[in-house]
Amino acid sequence: MNGDSHADLLQPPSNIEPTVLERTASHYTPLPTYQLPKGEHRHYQQQYADMYFARLAQLKPAVEQIASEAWADFEIGGETASRKDRVLDVRQGELCWVAGTVYMEMPLKPNVLEDIGKEHWIAAPPPRVKYDTGVGLGGDSERGAHAGGGKGLAGAQIMLEDESGRLRLTGGYLSGGLLVTGAIVAVMGTENSDGDFEVLDLRVPDLPRQPPRWETEDGDAALQGKSVTKKRPSSGKVAIISGLGVSGVEGDTLLLDLLLEYLLGESTDPASQQQAASISRLIIAGNSLSHSSPIPSREELAAATKKGGRKTYGYDSASYNAAPTDHLDQWLATLLPSIPITLLPGEQDPTSTSLPQQPIHAAMFPHSRAYMNPPTAPEGPGWFDSTTNPAEFSADGWRFLGTGGQPVDDVYKYLPDCEERLEMMEAMLRWRLTAPTAPDTLWCYPFQDGDQFVMKECPHVFLVGNQPKFETTVVEGPLGQQVRVLAVPRFKETGELILLDCETLVPEIVRFEVLDEG
Amino acid sequence: MAQDYTEWLAINVLNEQQLVSYRSLSRALKVHSNLAKQMLYDFHRNQNAKKPGTVHATYLITGVKQTERPATNGMHSQRDGEDTVMQSSPLLPSSSALKPDEHDDEEPNAVQTVMLVKQESLDLAKAKFESITGLHIYSLQAKGLGDIQSLTECNRKIAVDYASEDPMEVWKQYGTIQNPNVKRRTQRRQPPPPPAPVAKAAVAKAKPPVPTAKPTTLKKEASKDSEEAKPASNTCAKATTEPAKKPPTNKRQSSDIFKSFAKGKAKAKTEQESQESAGSTPKPAPDDEPIAGFSDEEDADEGDAAVIEEAPKVVNGKSKKEREAELQAMMEQDDEVMEDAAGAEPESAEADVDEGAIDKPETQAEEPKETVQIENGRRRGRRRVMKKKTVKDEDGYLVTKEEATWESFSEDEPAPKRIKVPPTTSMSKSTTAAAGKKGARPGGGNIMSFFSKK
Repeated sequence: MNGDSHADLLQPPSNIEPTVLERTASHYTPLPTYQLPKGEHRHYQQQYADMYFARLAQLKPAVEQIASEAWADFEIGGETASRKDRVLDVRQGELCWVAGTVYMEMPLKPNVLEDIGKEHWIAAPPPRVKYDTGVGLGGDSERGAHAGGGKGLAGAQIMLEDESGRLRLTGGYLSGGLLVTGAIVAVMGTENSDGDFEVLDLRVPDLPRQPPRWETEDGDAALQGKSVTKKRPSSGKVAIISGLGVSGVEGDTLLLDLLLEYLLGESTDPASQQQAASISRLIIAGNSLSHSSPIPSREELAAATKKGGRKTYGYDSASYNAAPTDHLDQWLATLLPSIPITLLPGEQDPTSTSLPQQPIHAAMFPHSRAYMNPPTAPEGPGWFDSTTNPAEFSADGWRFLGTGGQPVDDVYKYLPDCEERLEMMEAMLRWRLTAPTAPDTLWCYPFQDGDQFVMKECPHVFLVGNQPKFETTVVEGPLGQQVRVLAVPRFKETGELILLDCETLVPEIVRFEVLDEG
Repeated sequence: MAQDYTEWLAINVLNEQQLVSYRSLSRALKVHSNLAKQMLYDFHRNQNAKKPGTVHATYLITGVKQTERPATNGMHSQRDGEDTVMQSSPLLPSSSALKPDEHDDEEPNAVQTVMLVKQESLDLAKAKFESITGLHIYSLQAKGLGDIQSLTECNRKIAVDYASEDPMEVWKQYGTIQNPNVKRRTQRRQPPPPPAPVAKAAVAKAKPPVPTAKPTTLKKEASKDSEEAKPASNTCAKATTEPAKKPPTNKRQSSDIFKSFAKGKAKAKTEQESQESAGSTPKPAPDDEPIAGFSDEEDADEGDAAVIEEAPKVVNGKSKKEREAELQAMMEQDDEVMEDAAGAEPESAEADVDEGAIDKPETQAEEPKETVQIENGRRRGRRRVMKKKTVKDEDGYLVTKEEATWESFSEDEPAPKRIKVPPTTSMSKSTTAAAGKKGARPGGGNIMSFFSKK
């Protein structure tokens, strides 16, 4: 039934010289958007409130413009909505609109005071899946919960905040919407007798301007005085993977081997090898190691204490197991001669734990280090680019924005009934925030001059790693922007590799499996 | 060539009962991977024709599996029986994402599967595929494969056996996809050798005393020891507990006493040093600096060295002067000159000194000396502090002893070097002030003048 064309390799060796394949070239320009200053220039003594103010200042113009266009001629009962500058300027009974930051007060959100109080005498609570139980806590309507709100979000309060103060939001409209702390929105409505603001309509900043393809490279060339090449060779594909989860434990690395051989073009038949030769770059989106975060979890710390001996805060060098990093390094070093790699750190990787995570240091990769740029003289992008998380770079002309998954996972915790990660990713794009819940529930660096998580330009591809399964969609913007959103599944669990065609931006999957029955 | 592989495979698979994958074969015989796959097939067929069941194989199937669900967007699971009011309405006013019901109309993403199976399950696996684009032998083994995960052994062995091969030159013959744009730099140096010999070598190299040598000499050499230049200079300057630092620091001790009193050439040193050098009979080192003025104190030291108890006193008396001299010296950044020049004194003097030094040879070894380093305005280092220790006696009495211990200290980020402090954040200013207060009290008590900035 199956034709013999596939069985070319099931025959005695022929004397035909096999062809040597060449890989498609990859055009790559990393952008330093999320790099933090090094050493003494990195200060931690600022307040996080500045970040919120900066975020509001950056996004307020955009959202107000959209809001004013939408509501300029909005009328209810003969009254038009007027614009208020500050959140506290709303008056009772007056139809108006105002822009500010959303703040959600949720009963199960991590609260540092509670944590400290409870730390000493009870075991750590299991990590929360969602910050709200979804079951009505304040069953009666007006205790801050949405008046007449739908299911879920009961017990949570949504507020709008700006430099002047906070305003509680209510209204049935909110239950249909997706809101998390840190999103900048404009709401229209009126203040009711309780002092809460009843929301009739809501607007978000929506997608920013999207640069055309090759803009980064052309821009650089123009700045350097070189002529801007109009003709670009056709690009190949980009392989995206996430959640390799290398641990020291043997017995789960066969999939990695299969992946390695596939990418090198050694395994499979000539047709697939040809296809593999068109893969120009590999992007690893987080969690390459399964257990290497420098901060031990509370359970680990308790176990370490129980074992007796000193309580080692932080890092116990005696217990360091070099096997995982060694294995990862060998794996990368085997791939690097053939394919350039971009490595984003993830939640469990040995680098900073607060966003933006800084690149995994070259010292972790003694073998792969030869392919990285020397630390003192970075000329152009390295062949092996260990980069930040989140990361912004331009590959084959398209602007990529990638994260290791922590922002989306955190947004997921805020939405009690929503399981749609794609919708959350879309929401993040429309809010123009790479990490909306930072710094509320997501650790991050206290940016002083401006919120670095605000997207200034719309990417062409938004990829998020470490998601439970592969999902993709295209998000469209008001100015014709189109963003391919990719949720990259964890390789360790699913064995899936995403191939994104760089000419059409259509993804396809290659799944690696080991049949283990019989 | 035909004979080679049959022979090689016979030896490895049958005789030695090893697991041989096509990659191992290609590396061993230096052939293209596809050729190796064909060789494996040939061998497998021939051997099993002679005697069935001698050689078992695993296969790699590439193709499209049958039951592929279209666009796994997760909508299906949501739909089953759940109240999906939330999902069906756009969650954002301007959302353009397809609603759940529309997802089915999207083009399903192409899914290719690469599956590894044992030969026993081959037919079962083939049945799962809608279309097969490729099928080849992955590995051969003499007995049936117990745990398929053991195939990772093959790649691990390859990594070990052929580690010396340079991928860029040699892998072409194996059929790896070549990439003409690979950028690789040659390693300047091997992974760091044990620190002690290198440190010694570094110091020895700097031996010829060059008073006006570049201040960063030792820094540079020390930087070769560790991975990064910056932390290396820090660690080197910091005199950490690295054993490697002992030789150079010990060397420093001997002649440092003199340098410390020399004008403007004072070096970071400690009471230990003065103790040790005081104890050392041989006149330290070819020193460039005049030491005449301080010979009295030297003698005093030497005399006192024999007495343990007085040593601390002497030391304390000197320490203030020394510290001030040190401060001066540090300002002039002549650190490394000192250390290099001090290298002139071989460890033999140190050995004597160590035996001579009565009081705390062990503590000497463990905690080099008091150093105060200024890096970018941040002071850090080790200093000596008197601490009280309460010990329970055999009779049950509590005995309180005061002894000197070392501690490392460092200041917080410097106040004046704050880069951008917006006028609104007065809070940050106050915290800076608080942090800076520790150091910025000039004209305070004697001990506090030590911490004065300049």
